[in-house]
Amino acid sequence: MFSPEGVLDKNMKVLVVDDFSTMRRIIKNLLRDLGFTNISEADDGNTALPMLKDGNFDFVVTDWNMPGMQGIDLLKAIRADSNLSHIPVLMVTAEAKKEQIIMAAQAGVNGYIVKPFTAATLNTKLDKIFERLG
Amino acid sequence: MSTNTNVHISLAQAKLLVEYIESDQQTKANELIAEIQSPINSELFEEIGKLTRQLHDSLNNFQIDERLNDLATADIPDAKERLNFVISHTEEAANKTMDAVEAIFPVVDGIQKQISTVNPMWQKLMHNDLDVVEFKALCQDIDVLLKTTEKESSKIHRLMTDVLMAQDFQDLTGQVIRKVIDLVREVEESLIYMLTAFGMSSEKNKSDQPPKVGENLVEGPIINSENRQDIVSGQDDVDDLLSSLGF
Repeated sequence: MFSPEGVLDKNMKVLVVDDFSTMRRIIKNLLRDLGFTNISEADDGNTALPMLKDGNFDFVVTDWNMPGMQGIDLLKAIRADSNLSHIPVLMVTAEAKKEQIIMAAQAGVNGYIVKPFTAATLNTKLDKIFERLG
Repeated sequence: MSTNTNVHISLAQAKLLVEYIESDQQTKANELIAEIQSPINSELFEEIGKLTRQLHDSLNNFQIDERLNDLATADIPDAKERLNFVISHTEEAANKTMDAVEAIFPVVDGIQKQISTVNPMWQKLMHNDLDVVEFKALCQDIDVLLKTTEKESSKIHRLMTDVLMAQDFQDLTGQVIRKVIDLVREVEESLIYMLTAFGMSSEKNKSDQPPKVGENLVEGPIINSENRQDIVSGQDDVDDLLSSLGF
């Protein structure tokens, strides 16, 4: 995920999971603006999981509230799968209950952004996540 | 049995009593006499009768209330359609806006790129550090820059107008949502009427409790955030909470 110089590899494979195509488009645009070029999309956990299993993804950005498999269950499934458990997961969601944030933290989320959010917030969280992992 | 002086016997009752005695139905005759002598029972019957009528009327009103029927069969399906209209129109507006913005990005990036090409030479010129050959090249670059900027800014202007026009959804969806709010209010009133008709207080069971995690975990955007203690008020709150958990 990191080049030898410790610079974030912008070619890393990112999966954006959200049931609203407009939100996926916003996140994709913001990520592209930050230099990420290799971005795929899924509309819920059920679509995301098989993609992750055979896709060599490096990073997941997911919503919580989606029909089918919800973001929290996708996170748990990623952490439970030894082939995927290393992938950092950033949650971008309107869910703002403290219990939910604690639940996500306990499930092993790497970052939590509440909607509505700004481009700067996304940038800061990404930096923080990869700084920690590096 | 004590004798009741206020006993009032109707002609029908008297005839019935004679009939019972003539046909040797002593038990029925006794029952009739007891009934005549006991006005408390008849008051009770009257009261029960009144209640029965009220219940009957209420049930009839209930059935007659066609509005309720309309609400269930026409208005609520219509409201669902209206709300779907809101979803599709806001989605369309968001996509139109993003189409325009995504078209503007490369245009702006292109201009920026040309500027950064021109800039070093320009700085040299400003410091009187430019030879004639370089000056000619700079003039050429600036000429290109001016032409592209002129052309591209009218393109940006057109795209910005698209962004502006995409906001017309607010007016339309606002009207549609207002209609749905009216319907919700009407349904609420009908439900309260129903509760009252069945003798339940709508105030009594009012719950101030926010939905609990587990029973209604996923809530979507919080609308009444100022009345809630169980939620974060923004990204700073989230960050504080996570760092308090050792993140």
